[in-house]
Amino acid sequence: MNPLETPWIRILWRNRDLMLDGFVVTMQVTAIGFIGAVLIGAALCLVWMYVRPLRVPARVLIEFFRATPIYVQLLWVNYVWPGVFGWPNSVFEAACIALAVQSAGYLAETFRAGIEGINRGHVEAGRAQGMSALLIMRRIILPQAVHTMAPSIMNQFLVVVKSSTLVAVIAVPDLMYRALELTAIWFEPIGILSAAALTYVVVITLLSTLFKWYTDRVRRRYV
Amino acid sequence: MPDTIFETLGGAFDPELFWEYRGVLLPGLLYNFYVFFLTVGIAIGLGLAAAVLRLSPNFLLRGFGTVYAELCRNAPEYVVLIWIFYVPPLLLSVAMEQNISFTPVLAAVIALGLSSSGYFTETFRAGILSVPKGHIEAARALGMSRTLALRRVVLPQAVRHMLPEAMNQLVSLFKATTLVSLIAVPDLLYQVSIVAAREGKALPLYSGAAIIYFLLIFGFSTLAQRYSNPWREKSR
Repeated sequence: MNPLETPWIRILWRNRDLMLDGFVVTMQVTAIGFIGAVLIGAALCLVWMYVRPLRVPARVLIEFFRATPIYVQLLWVNYVWPGVFGWPNSVFEAACIALAVQSAGYLAETFRAGIEGINRGHVEAGRAQGMSALLIMRRIILPQAVHTMAPSIMNQFLVVVKSSTLVAVIAVPDLMYRALELTAIWFEPIGILSAAALTYVVVITLLSTLFKWYTDRVRRRYV
Repeated sequence: MPDTIFETLGGAFDPELFWEYRGVLLPGLLYNFYVFFLTVGIAIGLGLAAAVLRLSPNFLLRGFGTVYAELCRNAPEYVVLIWIFYVPPLLLSVAMEQNISFTPVLAAVIALGLSSSGYFTETFRAGILSVPKGHIEAARALGMSRTLALRRVVLPQAVRHMLPEAMNQLVSLFKATTLVSLIAVPDLLYQVSIVAAREGKALPLYSGAAIIYFLLIFGFSTLAQRYSNPWREKSR
């Protein structure tokens, strides 16, 4: 039999646009979720470290985000937030927010560790030169902290990619959603689900290899 | 407007509703623990085996261990869960010419076990590597076999070193058990979604579930940190 005549290959080939759309949605959700996570994480970290009166609320948020499973958070954002805050208005937005807040908790801790890891003498030297706190942050702390934080940040990006598969549950049409959809229509789970799983594994393996290569290079150069 | 926000926030958590449905919600939570404990056994067993393979002098075994660990770590848990639930039973059915299907719990335990065994492999490997080489050589010089040296000399020290990291993995694993409701294991979240659909009250139920999971996981990870760090220090 011609391998191209295998049912699941034909199904995937005929629906290639659908699958490709799904892949694009996965990338969008991941990208927006991760950028949101970096911004929210940085904000939480800075508030916790430098804004005394808001220290406790920031801590509570960080711990709450870190200690709730992503799936629970996804459902929570999707079903509860619209009722309480009147937002998000679509499942796509809910998915991005859930991914963002989940990772924000972890990233806030990463940022804190990175900033606290800077030699105090460097900060004091900057202050002795008359640099403002903002300038010290930009010129002294961040350039050094970026290298120590890079591995955890990249690792967190992989976590976001993996968690993004879950958004299919609230009907965001990502790659997993499309694969499940085609499976439900044609009932060819072996081929279709395996193809989807393989896609994820290949993409994530490529990314993690790339990140590992970069981390090793940075470590060799700076440590 | 502020009024409505406070009203909705007041309705965001409703302990009475949870008390009313304790008959289904509590067994649901027990299902989380049930899946968790079964999975821990598989994950630690496979993780230790793969770690030993990864450290083997034979490059074929080492390569196999590495590929296994990478594959498990790089596959998203949800994808593995769905795949295990649908694909292997069908393949087995075709191969054995009879109808085979996995119960949801079985599929959940296999999928989560495989997924987290990849992380445990790394944890075990780092733990074993942290044991000074001289200890192993001393054990070998005393005539201990490789397995005996591993069991008596390496593992007791490795376990101390890897404990904080292993605790983190266990916490992630418990978080991952919430996924099993997606293949209809009647865990807490599954029951919550059913009750939410019946009562038409998504707000208090999903918030409540989030708070329950938060308290459990936060409590456990705080305790784990407090007790596992001193234990590791003691071994130095």
